[in-house]
Amino acid sequence: MKIFITGIGGISAAGRNITEHLKSFRLMKRNAGTVSLFDTSLPYPVFEVKSPPINKQINKQKNEMRTLSLAMSALKEALQDAGLQKDFSGIKAGVCLGTSVASQLNDIDFYRTYRNTGAADMAPVDRFLKGNLAEAVAKSMKASGPSVTVVNACSSGADAIGVALSWLRNSVCEIAIAGGADELNRVPLCGFGALGILSESLCRPFDKNRSGLNLGEGAGILILETEKFLRLRGKKSALRLAGYGAAADAYHLTAPRPDGSGLEAALRESLADANITPQDVCFVNAHGTATHDNDKVEGIALEKVFGPKIKFLSTKGYTGHTLGAAGGLEAAFTASALRECWIPASAGFIQQDENIPVRPIREQTQINGSFAVSTSLAFGGNNASIVIAKD
Amino acid sequence: MPLSLSPKIKATNREPFFKAYYMNIAGIGIIFTRGRGIDSLGIALRQGWVAPSQTKSLNDQNVFYPAYRVKKETINDITILKKIRRADRFSKIAVLAAWDAVVDSGIQINDKESTIGIILATAFGPHVTTFRFLDDIIDYGDGSVSPTTFSHSVHNAAASYISSLLNIRGPTVTITQFSSPIHQALILAKAWLEEGRCKYVLTGCVDECGNVMEYICNQKLRIANNGKIRPFNFSALSSSVPGEGSVFFLTTLENCQNKYCKIIPAFQANRDTIKKSDIYIIEADGMAGDETSYQNTAPVDVSIGGYAPIFGSMKIISAFHCAAGALMIKKQIKYACPVQENPYCLNVITKTESSKIEQICCIRKNCANETNIIRLMR
Repeated sequence: MKIFITGIGGISAAGRNITEHLKSFRLMKRNAGTVSLFDTSLPYPVFEVKSPPINKQINKQKNEMRTLSLAMSALKEALQDAGLQKDFSGIKAGVCLGTSVASQLNDIDFYRTYRNTGAADMAPVDRFLKGNLAEAVAKSMKASGPSVTVVNACSSGADAIGVALSWLRNSVCEIAIAGGADELNRVPLCGFGALGILSESLCRPFDKNRSGLNLGEGAGILILETEKFLRLRGKKSALRLAGYGAAADAYHLTAPRPDGSGLEAALRESLADANITPQDVCFVNAHGTATHDNDKVEGIALEKVFGPKIKFLSTKGYTGHTLGAAGGLEAAFTASALRECWIPASAGFIQQDENIPVRPIREQTQINGSFAVSTSLAFGGNNASIVIAKD
Repeated sequence: MPLSLSPKIKATNREPFFKAYYMNIAGIGIIFTRGRGIDSLGIALRQGWVAPSQTKSLNDQNVFYPAYRVKKETINDITILKKIRRADRFSKIAVLAAWDAVVDSGIQINDKESTIGIILATAFGPHVTTFRFLDDIIDYGDGSVSPTTFSHSVHNAAASYISSLLNIRGPTVTITQFSSPIHQALILAKAWLEEGRCKYVLTGCVDECGNVMEYICNQKLRIANNGKIRPFNFSALSSSVPGEGSVFFLTTLENCQNKYCKIIPAFQANRDTIKKSDIYIIEADGMAGDETSYQNTAPVDVSIGGYAPIFGSMKIISAFHCAAGALMIKKQIKYACPVQENPYCLNVITKTESSKIEQICCIRKNCANETNIIRLMR
């Protein structure tokens, strides 16, 4: 069964929509800066979305989490791209979105007050309870199909797209909103800082002198439809979600399996799922966080599957690592690149690491092919790969 | 200008989200307040209601919160857990339930690496560890927090431990959902099996109840101070007692010998999809607040069960009821309801006895008053 991508939406520090992202990519603009959303003593640069109205940590008027505001912004663009209205009532519509921050009740002020006094205002709890990302989006869309929030850490967005693919193929729904969203938040900033994987300068994915990641925020959403549903709408799309593969490392809570076999298995499964060979793939949008371990393992797996000449890049030099949103955003970028026939330079890369057998592209490059891959790796040893096709 | 959907499309898409295909439950693992393993479940169902434990309120030493907590000794399995000594309680509860489900299946899965997938559902995740991490931030500052605590506060840590300990290298997904977490997990498991992504899916759920959650429950829900959940009261102001635990099912399309029963999940079910069964398990546990709509789902001529008073109130309680139903079908025993108050004169099961059971339908109403069901068939 063919599953079509009919709408694409994205928001991050690199742009409020896909057009702005492509412009940033062309100009190699890297909109990083110091944290402005909350107070912190940590010195790490971040990629914040500074576009009104998404300029506060909480939308107090709606008692809405920032993550949800980001998701709704990307969704609006994706719906417009698909020629759909914001009302799915009466349709078997699924919503599958990945996140990390929005799944946790991690409001520091709420907890501090509770800890000090044994009681606290319930507004943050209410915000959390109505903020389950997929359920909140499904409710706003009046979607009556399945709704699931995937919390697979940094591969959440890619896995959410994979879940939606399974739903559509198995007729659990016939249209799906899939992707991911995450806000910049003090809790993961502290956590990633403690893990020693944040860089004090702009990140340099796959570079020999990479020194860690920069956190970012954003949302990336795809509208996916079955062929039958698309035909009933009288629409066409050249883009398809052709395959998904996932595999667990079964190795360590935070470190990837050193031989890259988990990612390799996910990649091979996604290619088999799409019924293509590695030679059919014209480029890979890699996870490329700029941490020592991730980039090394990912480079090894890419070389094993695609050979040393594979064209690949990381877009995290433009967006930062947007955690649960990354898989969604990067799928949106991958689909857009296939449509536009070019991929941007992998920002931050200068010198090849002799421990990584492949190197990303250093300049904007024309592509001419029908298939592209987007990879995601995560805490907990999750590996995900999705294949996007252009007919 | 965006186009609206044509009426034709809307009209053709009103079939229930329900397919006539089923999975088999090959093994079950369960951790709950009364113990660990399917035998503990059988014993608890025979014994009936037991009062919950009481925890002192943080700000008032005279106020106690009742809760059905998992006892410390229940998860004190040094043999299995020695490799994950640093794991938090949330992960340990999940790991033991998942481990037991695989062992219970009796299936020799030699190549389990890639033939098994994992789907873990949770409503609130490892929030006790999340709050411990917030303690770090508040007490020591942003730059002096524990990386170990942070990595365990991530929702998918439990699934990661399950995959490591059981050497499962298939697809692994952790999902969070408030309205029908286990139904969504089972629907995805079925999709994976039908797609051929896996031969087995370890499908389960876990939630824990820490001090902060007890306080939140006390603020947001009406707590049954005598510790009794009343599943058949169908009250507009129902009472709950928070619970915690984990249930895992090893699900497969294969026809395995040790199977409990067939299982079909469905969400947003309507009257047509709630097929007549030998037993209806009413899953009212006080979490939805208003439970009056359960009245319409409980016919008087069918045996009615309701076992929430054994497990406690949880967003994931359907998994516990599903385990109870699967055990009833396997053993062909219907268990007496632990709390039998019956103001609507339903055919509530009052006595534990042997019975011919072909089908059980577990019915759950969520806060949005949607009906989610799990059908179990011999």
